[in-house]
Amino acid sequence: MKVGLFVTCLVDVARPGIGFAALKLLESAGCEVVVPATQTCCGQPGYNSGAREISRTLARKVLAEFKDCDYVVAPSGSCSGQVKASYAQDLFKDDPDRAEFEKLAAKWYELSDFLVNVLQVQSVPGRFEGTVTYHDSCSGLRELGVKMQPRFLLSMAGASVAEMAEAEKCCGFGGTFSIKLGEISTRMCENKCASARATGAKAIVGGDLGCLLNIEGRLRREGDHETKVLHFAQVIAGDG
Amino acid sequence: MQVQSMFFKRRASEKLADGLLQANMRKAKGKFVDARAKAVLEFGNWEPLRDYAAKLRDAALADLDAYLVEFERNATRRGSVVHWAETAEEACAIIVKIAQDNGVRKVTKSKSMVSEEVNLNERLEAAGVQVVETDLGEYILQLAHEPPSHIVAPAIHKSKEQVADLFTEAHGKPRITQIDALTREAREQLREHFLSADMGISGSNFLVAETGTTLTVTNEGNADLVTTIPRIHCVIAGIEKVIPTLEDFACLVRLLPRSAIGQSITNYLTLTTGVKGPGDADGPEQMHIVLVDAGRTKFVGTDLQEMLRCIRCGACMNHCPVYQNIGGHAYGWVYPGPMGSVLTPVYVGIENAGDLPNAATFCGECAVACPVKIPLPDLMRKLRERQFDGHLRPWSERVGLHAWGWLAMRPGLYAFATGWAARIGSWLGGRDGLIHSLPGLDGWTKGRDMPAPSGRTFRDLYRERQGKR
Amino acid sequence: MSARENILARIRGAQGKPGGEPTAADLGRVRAVMANPVNGPQPAFAHPPDLLVQFLKECDRVGTTHAQVASEADIPREVARYLAAAGLEARIVAWPAFAHLDWASAGVTFESRPARRDDRTGLTGCTCAVAETGTTLLLSSPDQPKVTALLPETHVCVVRKSRLLGTLEEAFALVRREQGELPRSAFFVSGPSRTADIEQTMVIGAHGPYRVHVIIAP
Repeated sequence: MKVGLFVTCLVDVARPGIGFAALKLLESAGCEVVVPATQTCCGQPGYNSGAREISRTLARKVLAEFKDCDYVVAPSGSCSGQVKASYAQDLFKDDPDRAEFEKLAAKWYELSDFLVNVLQVQSVPGRFEGTVTYHDSCSGLRELGVKMQPRFLLSMAGASVAEMAEAEKCCGFGGTFSIKLGEISTRMCENKCASARATGAKAIVGGDLGCLLNIEGRLRREGDHETKVLHFAQVIAGDG
Repeated sequence: MQVQSMFFKRRASEKLADGLLQANMRKAKGKFVDARAKAVLEFGNWEPLRDYAAKLRDAALADLDAYLVEFERNATRRGSVVHWAETAEEACAIIVKIAQDNGVRKVTKSKSMVSEEVNLNERLEAAGVQVVETDLGEYILQLAHEPPSHIVAPAIHKSKEQVADLFTEAHGKPRITQIDALTREAREQLREHFLSADMGISGSNFLVAETGTTLTVTNEGNADLVTTIPRIHCVIAGIEKVIPTLEDFACLVRLLPRSAIGQSITNYLTLTTGVKGPGDADGPEQMHIVLVDAGRTKFVGTDLQEMLRCIRCGACMNHCPVYQNIGGHAYGWVYPGPMGSVLTPVYVGIENAGDLPNAATFCGECAVACPVKIPLPDLMRKLRERQFDGHLRPWSERVGLHAWGWLAMRPGLYAFATGWAARIGSWLGGRDGLIHSLPGLDGWTKGRDMPAPSGRTFRDLYRERQGKR
Repeated sequence: MSARENILARIRGAQGKPGGEPTAADLGRVRAVMANPVNGPQPAFAHPPDLLVQFLKECDRVGTTHAQVASEADIPREVARYLAAAGLEARIVAWPAFAHLDWASAGVTFESRPARRDDRTGLTGCTCAVAETGTTLLLSSPDQPKVTALLPETHVCVVRKSRLLGTLEEAFALVRREQGELPRSAFFVSGPSRTADIEQTMVIGAHGPYRVHVIIAP
């Protein structure tokens, strides 16, 4: 089974460790993983900023890069949401290539969803002692139905998950929103941090690096250097 | 209402710093959301109902012209006078003229958002007509000289203490702060007005084409007094409100109060069709219906037409994390939250409300909550596309997007640039790995640190790893 | 051109339809839709095994109190009992439909006229009641003034068991069947008036009645 890993642009630049954790998880489950070297970005920043043509061009590039894979997996609900819910349904709705994008969407999975529902893994390499709390990222949750999958994997790693109040509430990242409307974004993140901290968990775990950088940035600004902020892939791969 | 949406950022910033407002918003936050969730669960087949309602609204909009003509025909047959207004100005002029022609001195009003859109109160008052808002929330705001901050709960931003202050000043009675006593005091004050008004003005949640019926969905009973007691009843409604049949209303009213406040039904469904009949003990002698365009046709036939499905329940704002933190006034016009971020730019011009379509993280909660399945984030994105294509965003944003798009299509160059970005970022992060401030990113770094990149890109490290293998 | 013509022409233009007014075919199409009303999805509890049980359950939820009487002749005694229990004066204004009952023996002062501002209790009937939501439908007519249900602080409403329906759709069908079309006012009441406009805290008794009491009669 040939699985393409879509690293995501944020992971590539900011936290390559998450990419390697994903790689490790897929390989240890017996997948043949390919990582197309030319990959850059799914186009979502442009799409959500109104630059439709730019995002269409990038979508075609993604399609070309992963066309030959049986599956494509990304450690991000946000990028996966872009590919699965926006390419065929919106960007190429009236395009002759629509069917190609539908095929891409059908074989594209968010990492936790792939591990649980396609590979049906029964164990994970990582061990985590203690309590974590899980932040549901918006796209993964509402576009892809990612909810129990990461929690299931975390419990496989031995972590106990303490649910925070309003776990499904947006953290305020929203891509360029976090810069364009920074004050509102910061307040939303402040609320998220307060909910997370109230659980007493020693780590806040999520599935999208954008949210995680936002949450970590706010925690550190508030003077909290203790609480860890981790991608679930790091935790369950034992790289946390 | 005067458009202030161009000042969204500044206003939002003021609201974030307003401790009292923040406390009031926190108190309100969960109530609507929890009540709706419970009502939806209890209903059972909620999703089929939403699907059905969305189709029903689309079908009505697809034949909007024909349904309006049929509505007019049936309303006229029952003795109503139907007026058409292309603009806010025209709508006001029609109603002021009705008042003047009939020697109207006092008007009681039940809540109408369209009337807020067109500045009706101001225009009537300028013509010497006293206007009394009778919805409790609207009454409070009339005393405070403030616009509503929510389309269902207009005074959601006020605390009971603030209401007590307003009542003490206006009614000249001892100050009380219990909510039930405040409500009773308003009832007593307003009863006088209900009985002495010459004309009642109401909005209409729907216009039923089949019967020529206008209708309101309320809890307080004020709309009933407004539409029953005065000798003239005037309805002001947007043209998109028309639905074919009473059965369609039965369907939509299962969605509306549940989505708005978690009630299975409002206390009163008030259906009015024409004027007082011969021998009737109550009801108005004249019934006027003003059908208002004022920007609605700008949605028709465009990729934003789905917005006209809106049944004004407020669920999108109740669930919106941006609204929850800044309240309705920050949006600077009648309609706040996600629905306002689509309506306002089209009604008042996108150049006057450029921040609104951008005031969303696209978290999607509004789209899930919307009872008629309006894809609000998609519509906001389409407005962003109009802004991008029309050069209506700052040049820096535009140049940045083009540069990013250009680079992302050139993997070699992209790898080189991101490689350096990762190294420089890591260096900027210093010992604690945090960037505390960065020019151009101050929107982020004002309230948050930027966790620094770890130093090497995935692609570099991966290539190395593959080389070793 | 009038505003009407402009608006209609703009809609048609935007939707790619020819001309400035709906064509005969357009009107024919929408008339066919209106002539054959279709019901949307309804909840399971709109079709309960026992309409009365569902109706009373919803009455409880919306804050409507209720009692049942064995015959029409028992209505005055039930009204007297209810008013006494609520600590209210035994005086009512009512729709004329109740004038023939023996109010004197029940000790209730009865007036058959529309309610005025200072009346405390209004007694009305209803055209039908809807079990799904605990709702009564009051239609206006010379003998059925709406103000009697609206101005007094207490509204007592008599519901005939035979007029108990499941849904709003059934109520609309009944009105079409019996009256041809809606009268000037069709007033659906579900419990005492309320507001949550101050701090989203529900308060019973806004501008309409504080109390609604339903009497189920045969």
